[in-house]
Amino acid sequence: MIIDLEKCVGCHACSIACRAEWEVPTGKDSAQRERRRNWVDRLGPSKTPQGLASTYYPGLCNHCDNPPCVDICPADKVEVTFTDAKTGATKKMEVAATWKDPFNGTVQIDKERCLGCGVCADVCPYSARYVNEDEGDPKADKCTFCVERVAVGLEPACVQTCLARARIFGDLSDPNSEVAKYVKKGAAKLESAKVKIGPNVRYYGNKKDMHLLTTTSTPKTMPQANLRRTIMAQMLKPAMDQAKSLGMLGLAGAVIVKGLSEDEKE
Amino acid sequence: MALNLTRRKFLQTASLAAATAAMSGCFANRATASTPFVKKPFTAPGSFADTTTAVGGVCEMCFWRCQLVGKVRDGKLVKLEGNPKSIDNGVSICARGNGGVKLLYDPDRLKFPMKNVGKRGAPEWKRISWDEALDECATKLKAVIDKYGPHGIAIFPHGSSAKYPMTFFEHVIGTPNNSEASFFQCRGIRDMAYVATLDTAPDENVDMANAKVIFLLGTHLGENIHVSHVKRYLKGLENGAKLVVVDPRFSASAAKAHTWVKIKPGTDTAFLLAMMNHLIKTGKYNKAYVEANGAGFDKFKAGISHATLDWAAKICDIPARQIKEVAELLAANAPNVSIHPGRHVSWYGNDFQRQRSLACLTGLLGAIGVKGGFVKGKGPKVGKSGWPKVNVEHAEAHALHLMAKKHQFSPPGTPTDMIRETAVSGKPYAIKGYVGWGQNPIQTIPDQALTIKMLQQMDFVMVCDVMPTDITMYADILLPESSYLERYDMIKTGTQWDLSGKQEQYITARMPLVSPTAADHERKDSVWIVNELAKRMGYGQHIPVQSELEMTNKILAGANLSVEQLVKEGGIHVQPGVDPYGAVLKVNFFSQEVADAGFPGVPTYIPVPEPPKGFARLVYGRAPVHTFNRSMNNAWLMNEMPENPVWLNDESAKKMGLKDGDRIELVNQDGVKSETSSVVKVTPGIRKDTIYMAHGYGTKNPAMTVGVGKGIDDQSLITAKAVDPETGAHGMRNNFVKFVKNGKVLSIPA
Repeated sequence: MIIDLEKCVGCHACSIACRAEWEVPTGKDSAQRERRRNWVDRLGPSKTPQGLASTYYPGLCNHCDNPPCVDICPADKVEVTFTDAKTGATKKMEVAATWKDPFNGTVQIDKERCLGCGVCADVCPYSARYVNEDEGDPKADKCTFCVERVAVGLEPACVQTCLARARIFGDLSDPNSEVAKYVKKGAAKLESAKVKIGPNVRYYGNKKDMHLLTTTSTPKTMPQANLRRTIMAQMLKPAMDQAKSLGMLGLAGAVIVKGLSEDEKE
Repeated sequence: MALNLTRRKFLQTASLAAATAAMSGCFANRATASTPFVKKPFTAPGSFADTTTAVGGVCEMCFWRCQLVGKVRDGKLVKLEGNPKSIDNGVSICARGNGGVKLLYDPDRLKFPMKNVGKRGAPEWKRISWDEALDECATKLKAVIDKYGPHGIAIFPHGSSAKYPMTFFEHVIGTPNNSEASFFQCRGIRDMAYVATLDTAPDENVDMANAKVIFLLGTHLGENIHVSHVKRYLKGLENGAKLVVVDPRFSASAAKAHTWVKIKPGTDTAFLLAMMNHLIKTGKYNKAYVEANGAGFDKFKAGISHATLDWAAKICDIPARQIKEVAELLAANAPNVSIHPGRHVSWYGNDFQRQRSLACLTGLLGAIGVKGGFVKGKGPKVGKSGWPKVNVEHAEAHALHLMAKKHQFSPPGTPTDMIRETAVSGKPYAIKGYVGWGQNPIQTIPDQALTIKMLQQMDFVMVCDVMPTDITMYADILLPESSYLERYDMIKTGTQWDLSGKQEQYITARMPLVSPTAADHERKDSVWIVNELAKRMGYGQHIPVQSELEMTNKILAGANLSVEQLVKEGGIHVQPGVDPYGAVLKVNFFSQEVADAGFPGVPTYIPVPEPPKGFARLVYGRAPVHTFNRSMNNAWLMNEMPENPVWLNDESAKKMGLKDGDRIELVNQDGVKSETSSVVKVTPGIRKDTIYMAHGYGTKNPAMTVGVGKGIDDQSLITAKAVDPETGAHGMRNNFVKFVKNGKVLSIPA
């Protein structure tokens, strides 16, 4: 996805349309992460070498080439067959509860197998994941690039509602696509020396706006997984496997997360 | 996030895991059989899954009225989207439009008719039946009319559902005391000044999509969002239009501008006069247009000849060179320039003259009826429906501004300030009945204390609304109205958004997207409520329609349409349109009419009060996620922007010892302190003499559980009111503030 900051007027429609589409709760989760799939940060007015600038950081999951959230998922791996929507080609992969699709490149979550531990959210340098604890059954959640809508011929919710047509969704691997043209024009990734994981949302704008965006919104370090959550997830796994067969999945997950949130208050 | 996995917690968790494992071990064999008991984790299905699409929605999260469809699952609205048939907003809607779902299901919404058994301002609510509520309203309002006359009632309406009650009180009961916020605290001055100059109200009709230069004076598109309007603006920019933004603040528009004119607030008219004088003196104006269509040009030319570039530069605190550059940029691209008329223009109490200046500049450049200029789209004709004009003569005879021979250019209704002063003083007559419909005057009108005094002296206060806004705390009887997503109530017409596109017109009607019937409330629409009131007050014979649906169909019949037909056509009827270009308007550069009324006939700069030492001028504006105070309880919208940061110049902040994000309060020149707090936004993007914040925050009513106490109410600090002499509309930017941090008052350095 490309976000054209020359067009974006910072109206936040993308953010709210996403909330409506995917019933994303407001506020923060118990680890104090913003509960959001899609957001707009208002930047500036600030001085830049090119003059006074004010712009926006419309953020969402970057569906990275090397997603740390996928690698860290502690859920047991299972074999999944992926199908290429275009060619029908298939590929089998061993994946945990979150993975990168070998064909369309999106990063997805299997809510049924997600432990709700939140380590994936911990390690995302873009803070693009949170844990949805609303239904008493905590599950990691984030932008899916609206693959479900795209599959039925619709645009992603944020793209459809954008009055500025500032969000361009397409196939980067197709050199004739509009997104590829933006890349040629210099649409940039929010990457730094220590954060080079191949984000697939790119931003296009004039020099001063891009300066403001990249200096304020590029992650500088790769965050570490919360050790306690990692340990608990490992502990939880055998219990989850057993509980699952008993229909207690929700209960176990809820109790663990409740324990965690109480911990954090201490 | 401390890594303090305590021993206790560890044991607790471990034992849970152990217990679970042990249990599941016991029942391992049964587990497979009990798979149906496995709880499916929550996965939102998406708005497209298992939903039906309801058409005919017209948004009213703001008043631009984008066309909607609703995605409905099991009778519940799950999402709003732009109607794909719309030639206006298309499939796009803004954040507020998307947030409509949260208004619809806001648990804080008014549900039942209520009687205040406590005090006005400190209410205690008792649920009553509609019969009781209507009987009491009718009896009390009738008592006011019998004792003081029809003009003893004042109505404060806002929004499309308020039109039916408003015209009932104006036309049938016969009160002139109608204070429409959209006129007297917003755009009335603009409309009246353009009528005096170009003989037409401008709305926001500049053809920005096809302009070579877009000139915005205070207009902050981006923070102020109206979908098709912003589409025009963005298309213009995409096509290479140069953008000039005149604003004391580096607004969202200034951020996209080629030229930002960092003007001293209150001095805009001087800037406009100097540009016009320069263009006339250098012969760079559109002589052909002015000669053919200008009236009083010589008087105008002589009258503004003092307005040199240097004169204005000093007043406006900007370089003379910049005034010249902007003037010449406009002239070089004339007539294809959009001189934006603005929208909310109730600024300083000298606003009619500024708005006249903008209209004159438009005329001077000949930017009328041409690509990029002042062009009004030609919409379709529809029918009419409404209350008969039974008692309008009484209303006219008692119009306060006509009686006092003041404010001859008042927009329709009576200037708010005269209504309020009359109510409080009892002179020239008593105003003892208050009817509020969708308007929240507490956060709309300057000098809250005086507004409250007006309310306290009333014999009866009745308010009808959707949400428990601050004004509802002053009601004796409070009536719950159905929302814009649950009712019929207005016809929206217009053209395709880009005036140069395929010429089309549309007609749509607001239709309910979901049923208003629900077990937990008794909300009603305004036609039903007012008809019931009219019957009880003895005006039943004048009722024009029996239902909102009948009203809608009656208006549609004028275009050979019906609600049924509109639904068949996807909610919007689209028909061939008319080329809007080519209109020629006469330009009253000097206005005899204005001069005869005792005001300057040539646009004139009238200086405004300067900030006292240690204070800076309080300026307010729009946030893209809010419509004034109306959206402050919307959980989705409030989450995007939970308070209104107060903009302070970075150099001033340094001297004051304030850092970005510091929690502060404000105190104004009259010693009035904000009751709530907000954070400082330290930025180089604002002048040192100006403080800025988004309008509408700081709700006081605890019944608005999401919005209450969030951010600062700018209106509470606007105690020094200004009244525009020509129109009687309010000016709200002549107030000055200091910061308060931890109880310590901090002066703002000059």
